[in-house]
Amino acid sequence: MSSQDIGWQGELDRRARVYEDIEAGQRWEGTMTRLDYAAIVALTVVLVVAFWIWGA
Amino acid sequence: MSDTTIRNNASFEEADKNVVAYREAAERGDAPILPSERLWGFWEFTYANSALAIATWAFLIGGSVGLFVGPKEGIAAIIIGNIVGVVLTALATTCMTGRYGVEQFVALRSQFGYNGTRLVYVLAVVVLTMGWLAVLAMMFGRSIDGLIALSDGGQASPTGAKMMIAAILAILVTWFVVAKGPTSIKFFNMVISPALVILMGVMLYLILSKHSFGELMTLPALDPPFEDKHLNFIIAVEVNLAAGFSWWPYIGNLARLTKNERTAFWPNILGIFGAAALGEIVGLLAAVALGESDPTIWMTKIAGPAVGVIALLFVAFANMTSMANILYTSIVGLRQVGTESVRRIPWGAILFLFCLIPLGLVVFYPQMYDGFFIFLVWTSALNSALAGIGIADYFFLRGQKLDMRKLHAPQENGAYRFAGGFNPIGLIALAIGFGVYVWIFNPQTLASVSVFKFVTASVPSCLVAGTVHYVLSRLFATGKGWGDYPQG
Repeated sequence: MSSQDIGWQGELDRRARVYEDIEAGQRWEGTMTRLDYAAIVALTVVLVVAFWIWGA
Repeated sequence: MSDTTIRNNASFEEADKNVVAYREAAERGDAPILPSERLWGFWEFTYANSALAIATWAFLIGGSVGLFVGPKEGIAAIIIGNIVGVVLTALATTCMTGRYGVEQFVALRSQFGYNGTRLVYVLAVVVLTMGWLAVLAMMFGRSIDGLIALSDGGQASPTGAKMMIAAILAILVTWFVVAKGPTSIKFFNMVISPALVILMGVMLYLILSKHSFGELMTLPALDPPFEDKHLNFIIAVEVNLAAGFSWWPYIGNLARLTKNERTAFWPNILGIFGAAALGEIVGLLAAVALGESDPTIWMTKIAGPAVGVIALLFVAFANMTSMANILYTSIVGLRQVGTESVRRIPWGAILFLFCLIPLGLVVFYPQMYDGFFIFLVWTSALNSALAGIGIADYFFLRGQKLDMRKLHAPQENGAYRFAGGFNPIGLIALAIGFGVYVWIFNPQTLASVSVFKFVTASVPSCLVAGTVHYVLSRLFATGKGWGDYPQG
């Protein structure tokens, strides 16, 4: 393996570790919560039902 | 300066170069982008999405809707189809790429295996992009043909020699621009998108100055295929579901550039759904008001030759920008999933090889343009199933956890080798989803079974593919040690 390949493997390892550390410490920022999922389901249902009644 | 200092300075310089090189490699998709490296906040991503969505294809899709149903039903179909399609596609792709900064087709190794992902890429991205390149080139060609006819008072010939020559030139110029790299593409994007918004506003103003909104809502469809109005309406919904699902190959890799998962997801609703729906509605209203579904024809009728020439020139230019965007994105992805021999093909050469089929379609199948919604609906047979599998795998089988180390490690003996690099379960689910779609609704003939009128075809295809993937993975994958799924 060349020194470039070793360097790149090290970099991949570093980046994977960043995410492993975040996962282990539950330090995710800006994740989708139950509220987000409820909101998108509600928005979709409201739009579908409202426009179905109006236009279909 | 001592030898030690010189060596230290040289090491720091090399380290800096490595930092830049590694970040660029991550942006290309070779590694996950770190949280500190993400570029886009909420409004920046919304703007980028809107710029992508407000393209001439929105006018084309809107015009196609006008063939099946009148404006009132058409607006309903556009909203219903696009919101369901965009939400399911965004859930399947942007949540995982937004959380981990991972390239979409690298993440897909966990669903289809490293070789299965290559197959999916060819089917979903390469075929789709080649089709869109051909359609947009034909639209460019028709714009130029229409422009010439307006200028010299002659007759337009939408499938004639002028269209064909212009369309071929469009593909060749696009190849040339993309071969130079992304800088010129970024410049065109900054100009074209705001200008398309202005064009949309002008078109809407011109239409509403001749017809009140109430009058527009009562206009009939241009060419409904069936006597059954409800069936025509569901087909219009299906065309828009297809439009929503057609973002599957693209939005994941845009979302990985955003600051976090929530920023990766919500702007798709404003940008992709909102802007595309608006563009389609303008296309729909113009088509039914002017009696012509093809934007390159109704633009010549809307306000006389002078406005028509400017609008057509603009549409032609906007089409080339869209072509450059999708060609660039597709080839970057192809080099990512491709084998070493694919990666060794020089950039300009691989771009040109990619353009051969679109060139062939322009020359030998120009009628594809008028039935382009058939092509769009065929792609939904695949994309809806892919979205279902993605949601089942990421949310329900993996509990929203991906392993960056294993996804980027050598794959041949890795966690996602499955059977020779193919996940049979994912591919079976994909085939079943595709089959369910075509059984419920045949995109080629528009024939359907009775259940289509109640549930469409994309929604069952998505649900069935996702359910099959979930059940078979639970039953068989863990026992065979496939896919590194969490236990229980």
